[in-house]
Amino acid sequence: MILAILPASLLAGAGIEGRVTLPKARSAPVVAKRYEIISTGSVLSVSPPLAIVYLEGSFPKPKPAATKQVGQKDLTFVPSLLPVQVGTRVEFPNFDDLYHSIFSYSPAKRFDLGRYRPDERPIPSEVFDRAGLVTLRCDIHEHMRGLILVLDTPYFVVSNADGRYQMSALPAGHYNLKAWIDSKTTREQPVDLRNGQTLHVDFP
Amino acid sequence: MSFASNGHKPPVAGFRTRLFAALMLIIAGLTALGLFFGQRNIAANVERDLQQNFQAELTALHKLQELRDSALAERCRSLGEKPRIHAALEDNALDLLYASAQDELRDLMQQEEPLGEQATTSLHARFYRFLDSAGTVLPPPNPKDVGELAPDAEAELNLKKLPESSQIGYLAEHVDRAHEIFDEVIAVPIFSTETGEVISALVVGFKSFEPASKGTGAGMKSGIWVNGRLHLPSASQTAQDALANQIANAVSKSDRSRNNFTVTIDGAPHFLFFKRLNPDSIFPPAYEICVYPLADSIAQLHRLRWKIGSAGVLLLLGGFVVSQFAVARLSKPVEQLVVESEHDRADRKRAEEALASATEELERSTRYSADASHQLKSPVTVLRAGIETLLNREDFKHEELSMMLHQTHRLTGVIDDLLLLARMDAGHLQIKSEPVNLSQLIEEWLDDLSALPDAPDVKIEKQIPAELYVAGERQYTSLIVQNLLENARKYNRSGGKLRVEADEEGKQVALRIGNTGRPIAQAAQQNIFERFHRDKNTSAVSGHGLGLNLARELMRLHGGDLRLVGSADDWTEFEAQFRIARRTVSHQPQVA
Repeated sequence: MILAILPASLLAGAGIEGRVTLPKARSAPVVAKRYEIISTGSVLSVSPPLAIVYLEGSFPKPKPAATKQVGQKDLTFVPSLLPVQVGTRVEFPNFDDLYHSIFSYSPAKRFDLGRYRPDERPIPSEVFDRAGLVTLRCDIHEHMRGLILVLDTPYFVVSNADGRYQMSALPAGHYNLKAWIDSKTTREQPVDLRNGQTLHVDFP
Repeated sequence: MSFASNGHKPPVAGFRTRLFAALMLIIAGLTALGLFFGQRNIAANVERDLQQNFQAELTALHKLQELRDSALAERCRSLGEKPRIHAALEDNALDLLYASAQDELRDLMQQEEPLGEQATTSLHARFYRFLDSAGTVLPPPNPKDVGELAPDAEAELNLKKLPESSQIGYLAEHVDRAHEIFDEVIAVPIFSTETGEVISALVVGFKSFEPASKGTGAGMKSGIWVNGRLHLPSASQTAQDALANQIANAVSKSDRSRNNFTVTIDGAPHFLFFKRLNPDSIFPPAYEICVYPLADSIAQLHRLRWKIGSAGVLLLLGGFVVSQFAVARLSKPVEQLVVESEHDRADRKRAEEALASATEELERSTRYSADASHQLKSPVTVLRAGIETLLNREDFKHEELSMMLHQTHRLTGVIDDLLLLARMDAGHLQIKSEPVNLSQLIEEWLDDLSALPDAPDVKIEKQIPAELYVAGERQYTSLIVQNLLENARKYNRSGGKLRVEADEEGKQVALRIGNTGRPIAQAAQQNIFERFHRDKNTSAVSGHGLGLNLARELMRLHGGDLRLVGSADDWTEFEAQFRIARRTVSHQPQVA
């Protein structure tokens, strides 16, 4: 589930790969892998753990072209954690056969879609134009939580369940590589990227 | 008898009085005991009735209130779980908190304020506030939307810390200057969905539960006491202030077992119960106050006391009467006993006196008879001596003198018998008991009888074991045997028979002497042992009527007896019972 955005002009760019040490999974892995937002202390994270690795710095930031989706299926948000670039429109399709009422009071984005059914058209959507973590809630189903990490960069990737990640077609230069682990934990390391090179960066 | 009852009235009267006093004491004691326990029982009953009344009222009240409280608490809890409220609290959007809550609590706040009894079932909220993590009220942006509160009232909603569970409190609100009302406040914790910690609390104020059952409990009034302030609508303000202090005292003592005391409200005694409305709440303690006028109970108690008292008096009177009867019944036999014993005493005294006089008389007569015998005997002896002298002279007619001499012999015999009897009567005759050979004695006397000059032609049968010894003095035993044998000969007819039998019967020796001849008349049979008794029909036979009497007296003196066995059909038989002599003695040589 690597969601890197690779502009065609930067195919020959730099690459980074490595491993983020993830917190230990709290529950035994399930067969049908589903990620859900859990809270430990007042920290929101994904379970089983996932990390979002992204590159921050001053480089040209093209407008996000694609529209993303966070669906509601079986009374959960799918995906439960979604990184998007600032300015991305996210649709919230309802795949359950009942009402949902998605809203957020998060400072990064306050919105309230109101109650709607699966056949609601157009699909209710919001544009996330401020960087930050947005907590998604449903007014009807109080247990439902979803996270959208709004990033001011086009270069980001979600690790696999082992914490391994791989990014390519990155611009050369001196930047900060960050790894978001949970709502309170973001690690960062400065990186020097050169074209044609693939850097190995582990986050302990 | 009149002497006895008069003379001994005091002891009997004393017994009667004492018995009566004891009975009355017991009855009075029992009555007092009964009164005491009755009284105590009644006092306890009245208090218990009050308690039960109160508990019943309170229970009914509390069931309603509990229902309402749990409904309210549940409502508040579900409000506390609303995602928007959580989102506002957790996602750092406090500015949206009251706005979000306004939507959620719209139904509670916008209900028409109910009137009267509906207030008890209504869930109309008067105000609501949120507390921050420190327990202080989060100021609402627009107080009108969340129910306005005076600043001091709002300050009372501040808690020292956030509650872990729903809490009930009571808040006094001044509606106008003189009037204040109490709101029931429910505080429910709001738990973070992220951490599970209490991050806030929702405080909702409802119109206080006003019991609708004011008229039911016979003047029972209820109110509420919160943190030193009393709300008891029925009492005057001054009375309320005074009561509030008393309740504060009672509450501060924290004696949980006691939940009541007696107070004076507006001059009348009242029974006051209190019960904590919000036990273990972090809000200031609130107490339900029930005031019960004691006037009725006291009047009832007085009536009951009068009843018990009069019952006691009646019981005493009844006891008095019953004891009178009982004493009369019980003392009767005792009195009878006293009288009878007096009788007995008098009788005995009389008998003793009679006995004494009789003894004296007897002694006198015995002395007399002894004297008489002596005086009689001496001249006869002299006479006889004279006759004998004369008889030796030849010039006297022999025949006549001989008869005269014979008469003197008879006279001497009578005098001897009389002397012996007199000695016996006086108790002077001492028996020297020794074994006497009865068989030998009888043989001797039978020989003498047959040797008599006028011995009739009587056939003698005898059946006497040899060596039969009896206890007695030989001289008197001999006299007895002589008397009996002489009688048997004297009263026999010519050609008749005389039978002598003797045999051992245990410790007795029975000597039976029977003779033929005219029997003793039936009427005379019982008199033959009396002195000087002689059968009229036997006057031809010589005798002086002392023999049988003498023989029986002697027999009795020897520890035996003499009786007539029977006298009929030409056969008269006497039986003499001797005491048998011991065998060891019986072998001693006898001097006959």
